Amino acid sequence: MTALSISNLTVSVDTKTILKGLSLTVPNGEVHAIMGPNGAGKSTLGYALAGRPNYAVTGGTATFNGEDLLDKDVHERAAAGLYLSFQYPLEIPGVPALTFLRTALNAQKKLRGEDEVSAPDFLRRVREVAKSLKIDMDMLKRPLNVGFSGGEKKRMEVLQMAMLEPKFLILDETDSGLDIDALKVVSDGVNALRSPERGMLVITHYQRLLDHIKPDQVHVLVAGRIVKSGGPELALELEARGYDEYLGVAA
Amino acid sequence: MTQLMPLDLFDVSSYPNRRVEEWKYSDLSRALREIPQKDKIVNVDPVSRFAVQDFAVFTVRNGDYDGLNEAVATSNGKLWIRHLDEGVTGPVVGHQGRAVLHVADDQSLTVFETYEGQGAYAAHTELGISLGQNSGFIRIVVLDEPLTALSIRRSTIDTRPGAKVHQAVFSAGAQFSRFETHLNHAGHGADVVLDGAYLLKGKAHFDLTTRVTHGEIDGVTSQTIRGLVKDQATAVFQGRILVERGADGTDARMRHQALILNDGAHIRAKPELEIYADDVQCAHGNTIGALDEEAMFFCQSRGMDEATARGLLTHAFVMPVADAIPDEVLKSVVLDFLEHEAEDYHAV
Repeated sequence: MTALSISNLTVSVDTKTILKGLSLTVPNGEVHAIMGPNGAGKSTLGYALAGRPNYAVTGGTATFNGEDLLDKDVHERAAAGLYLSFQYPLEIPGVPALTFLRTALNAQKKLRGEDEVSAPDFLRRVREVAKSLKIDMDMLKRPLNVGFSGGEKKRMEVLQMAMLEPKFLILDETDSGLDIDALKVVSDGVNALRSPERGMLVITHYQRLLDHIKPDQVHVLVAGRIVKSGGPELALELEARGYDEYLGVAA
Repeated sequence: MTQLMPLDLFDVSSYPNRRVEEWKYSDLSRALREIPQKDKIVNVDPVSRFAVQDFAVFTVRNGDYDGLNEAVATSNGKLWIRHLDEGVTGPVVGHQGRAVLHVADDQSLTVFETYEGQGAYAAHTELGISLGQNSGFIRIVVLDEPLTALSIRRSTIDTRPGAKVHQAVFSAGAQFSRFETHLNHAGHGADVVLDGAYLLKGKAHFDLTTRVTHGEIDGVTSQTIRGLVKDQATAVFQGRILVERGADGTDARMRHQALILNDGAHIRAKPELEIYADDVQCAHGNTIGALDEEAMFFCQSRGMDEATARGLLTHAFVMPVADAIPDEVLKSVVLDFLEHEAEDYHAV
């Protein structure tokens, strides 16, 4: 079953067209990487799929597990199982991380018509996941991401995915701002979520992340289009040779 | 002693007009078109939405403060001063009252001050507070009056060296509501917190006015004011800190941050620092904006619908003021109040 199917997607931000007919399919159970130079539209793809306001879809389609994704509101996409991990997770002053997470989890469950998770069950599960990600429970009582280091913010992102159990993950430059140890912890956390029922789209600049999260396929995104697709070896080629040869293709 | 400008609800010639700078944004003559009736009415005893444990309770009915000092004396340091004002249908009734309150040297008093009422009324109360040397005074105020009420609550606080004051005012607004605090800062280690938070909706008008005078050396004042307005509500914040010549070593900080949640709501802010001393640390900040759209998107992308995300973020915005309350019982009462008030912010 195809988890995510994007066809000929065109997206504009303000008056500028960023994605210019992007097509891509990611089957369940597979991890696909999107690589590309700055300004190619990598983050735009993540934001457009998540439904960020001002990211106007002007053409094409995107279906998620057979349903029209673009027709749904932001929170409905989340409840349907789409999770966008932000390159720069926001700081939410005044809202403890635990409160944020529980509010999000129960909001999703409510929309899906499921029972809310009880406070003890929630806490038990959070403790387990937090431990595996080396997150101190005291940190979860602090306002979400406020004063957290880059590595701590990314670990919080992984904690949220593990708790929300989405069907599909979009990781937007999850490696940015991470030192080597944090990269390992975060990658291990993501890898633990790999399963035959879950697809992933990993957006990155560098091959380094893909040493830890091994993709099934690699796509090169240049100037708003996928210009080449291939196996994991494509990432190594890009690392060695750069994007120069593709910049000509796109022009 | 700090003096208040004379004001008598029953004497229209005492009303400030808009040419009086201090009342420029809160036009009393316009809000109160007729002199209120003096009729004393028999009270029913409305059930309070608040409940606090371990506090002695003193009720101020329609501005009648008789017995307050005895209540303070027997309160064991924790007193809930519960103001109840009542109106009737027909002409607006007026209530006016005045009291003084002392905290002796080295003593502490925690006051939970609530203002509740029903019907249409005009109320004006004055509280003169004097604090002894090295005394401690916590004053947590919740203004929860009906949208039919006109309410002017004024107070003076005179401090002595070493006194510690923590005042925090929380308001949901009324038809016309003004809360004034005039504080005379004794310095010499005296430390004052004058915080506030407001959540206004409908046609509410709330005016928070503070006047702090540092006349002596080494005084500390800190103010954090957070506010939210929506619908056609109006908030006014007038904060002035005056540091007189010779009041060196003063550390005074004032910060007002507010969100306007829709067009049509207004905030008038006038933070002022007037400094005549040389060796001081003073700062003021004033920011007014809209709810952070990026934070909204972040919350929604994790599954919260727009209303839930808005409620969470607006509640969080005023939280720091409640979080700083040094009394755990009162902190939790105020958190409940804010949570309840923030619910109305889900839908804008």
